[in-house]
Amino acid sequence: MKILTTVKKVVDVELNIHVENGAIVEKGLQYVINAWDENAVEAAVQLKEAHKAETTLVSLGSTDNTDIIRKCYAMGIDNAIHIDDPALAKADSPTFAKVLQKVYEAGDYDLVIAGKQAQDTDAGQAGIMLGEFLGIPCVSNVIEIKVTDDTHIQVSRLGDAGTEIVDVTLPAVVTVSDSINEPRLPAMRGIMMAKKKKITVMDLAGLGTSFEEIGGTAPASEIVEFLPTQKRKGGQKFEGDPAEITAKVVQLLVNEAKVL
Amino acid sequence: MTNILVVADIKQGVLKGSTAELLSKARALGAATAAVAVGSNVADLAPQLAAAGSDTQYIADDPSLEIFSAAPFAAAVVEAAKAFSADMVWFGFSETGKAAAPRVAAQLTAACATEIIDVTIDGDAVHIVRPAIANKVLQKVKINVPKLVAVVRAGAFEADPEATGTENVVTLDPPEKDMAAVVKELISDASGEIDLADADIVVSVGRGAKDQAGVDLVKDLADDLAAGFGSSRAMVDAGLMAHNKQVGQTGKIVAPSLYVAVGISGAIQHLAGMNGAKVILAVNKDPEAPIFNVADFGIVGDLFDVVPLLKEEIKKIRA
Repeated sequence: MKILTTVKKVVDVELNIHVENGAIVEKGLQYVINAWDENAVEAAVQLKEAHKAETTLVSLGSTDNTDIIRKCYAMGIDNAIHIDDPALAKADSPTFAKVLQKVYEAGDYDLVIAGKQAQDTDAGQAGIMLGEFLGIPCVSNVIEIKVTDDTHIQVSRLGDAGTEIVDVTLPAVVTVSDSINEPRLPAMRGIMMAKKKKITVMDLAGLGTSFEEIGGTAPASEIVEFLPTQKRKGGQKFEGDPAEITAKVVQLLVNEAKVL
Repeated sequence: MTNILVVADIKQGVLKGSTAELLSKARALGAATAAVAVGSNVADLAPQLAAAGSDTQYIADDPSLEIFSAAPFAAAVVEAAKAFSADMVWFGFSETGKAAAPRVAAQLTAACATEIIDVTIDGDAVHIVRPAIANKVLQKVKINVPKLVAVVRAGAFEADPEATGTENVVTLDPPEKDMAAVVKELISDASGEIDLADADIVVSVGRGAKDQAGVDLVKDLADDLAAGFGSSRAMVDAGLMAHNKQVGQTGKIVAPSLYVAVGISGAIQHLAGMNGAKVILAVNKDPEAPIFNVADFGIVGDLFDVVPLLKEEIKKIRA
C-alpha cells in the first residue's frame, strides 16, 4: 500500500497575533507544522508499521519547510516532496487541492491521509475537494483507520448523530481529527537518520503545471483584509468564602446578566 | 434577486434552530429563499421549513438516507441548488455541513467558505466574514464567482419569528448510494441528551474535575440547569468524556446564552469553541487561569466545594 500524507506549515496559534491596517503583523510570528497534519503523519506511520505501507509526504508552501519535513522523517515517513512555489503564498483551498491532485496523479497512491483542517485558515476544504477532483471517495473527520485488505479500509468518522463506521474502497482520501492518535515524539536515532534523508523539492513547473492552470490566478474567493477579533474581557472575579461568592454570582446571573 | 438555498439541519428527525436563523438572515438580505431537507422521514418537516422562512421546500426523503453519507447528501443538495438556480447554498454549523459543503462547492463550481459569521450583498459584490487562526483574527473575503457555498458558524444569525414563508413542496429523486464509501453502521450518541449545538445553557467540565466522580458532579449541575454537557480536550483524552462532547476549535462550536466552564483552564483551542457565548461563568481554583480573562463572572474556588453550592443556589431561585 502506498500512502500520501499532506502537510502545511502554519502560524503558531499559541502566540499572540496582531492585526494592523487590514493585515497580520508578521513580526514575532512563528511557524509550525499544522497540528492535524501531524496526526495524519502519525496515522500513516502506524499503517506503515502494521501493514508495510510505503509513506510519502507532500508539503506545500512558499516557505522553507525543511524543519517540519525532517520532523516527519524522524517520525518514520519514507519519502518527502516539497512543492515550493512563491505563488502558493496566495493560494486558496481549491488551488491547494489542485496541487495535491497533480502530486497524487504523478504517483501511484492507494490512500491519501490529510489533516481535517489547517490551523491558519480553519477552512477544512482541501482534503474533501481533492477527493472530489479525483473522483475517489473521501471520508472526513476520521478517528480510526483499519486496513481490511489490499483494496479496502474501514474508518470511523465522528458525525452529527454519532460514530459512523464506513467501508471504503481504495484509492481514497481520509481527513483525520486530532482524536485519532497522539503523534509520537521522534527518538534520537530517528532524528539523526532524518538529517541524512533527501527531500525532493520542486516548483509548480517541476510538477508539470502552473499557477494559472490550477486556477490560482482566478481564485473563487480571496481575502481582502484581516480584522481583529473582538476580544472578550474578563469581568468580575470573586474570591473568598465559597458559599458567599457563589450566592453572589448566582444573583448576578439572575439580576444583571439575566441568563438564569 | 439573490436565490439562497438553506440546507435543513435535522438531527434525529428534529429540525434544529439554525435552519430558521439562516432563513431569517436570507430574508433580511432580500433574497428568495428555499430549504432542502435530506434524510429519511423528513417530508413531514415541510410545514416547519415554511414556518422557518422558506418559500420552496425541496425534499429528498428515502430510507437509504437514514444514516448520513456525504456523497448522496451532497448530490441531493446539488440537485436542489440546480432546481432553485441557487446563487448561494448555506449550511448550518454541523459535521454534516462541514463534510458536504466542499463537495457541493466543487460540483457547482462555487466558492466555498466555512464558519462564516456575516455575509453582505452589495449589487454584484458579495463578501463574507469568518474567523481564522483559532478565532484570533477575522478574514474579510471577497467572492469572485457567481455562486457561493457557505457553512454558517453557530450563533452567527438570529431567527426572526416574523420571517415566515409559504409551503411549496418539490420532491427530489433519491440520490444514488455511494458504493465506494459504504456507511455500514452508526454507533449512536446517547439519545435523550441535550444537543450541545442547540442548548441555551452549556456546562463544560475540565481537568479540574479529576475523575469520574468529579465528572458526575458537574453533570448533575448540567442536568439541574437542563444544559448541554460539554468537555475540554483533556477530559476526552483521559477517556472520561466522549469525543463528541469536546468543545473547541476542533470539536463543537457553541454559542449559548450562558456557558459555565468548570475546572477548565482555558486553552486557546477551547476558547475558540465557546467565545461566542453571551455570558461566560468560570469556576477554577487557580486565580491565574486564562479562562478568567474571558469570563464575565469568575468564581475562584475548588469545584468540589463550589458546584454543590451552585446547585443549591439554583434550586433556590428555581423554587
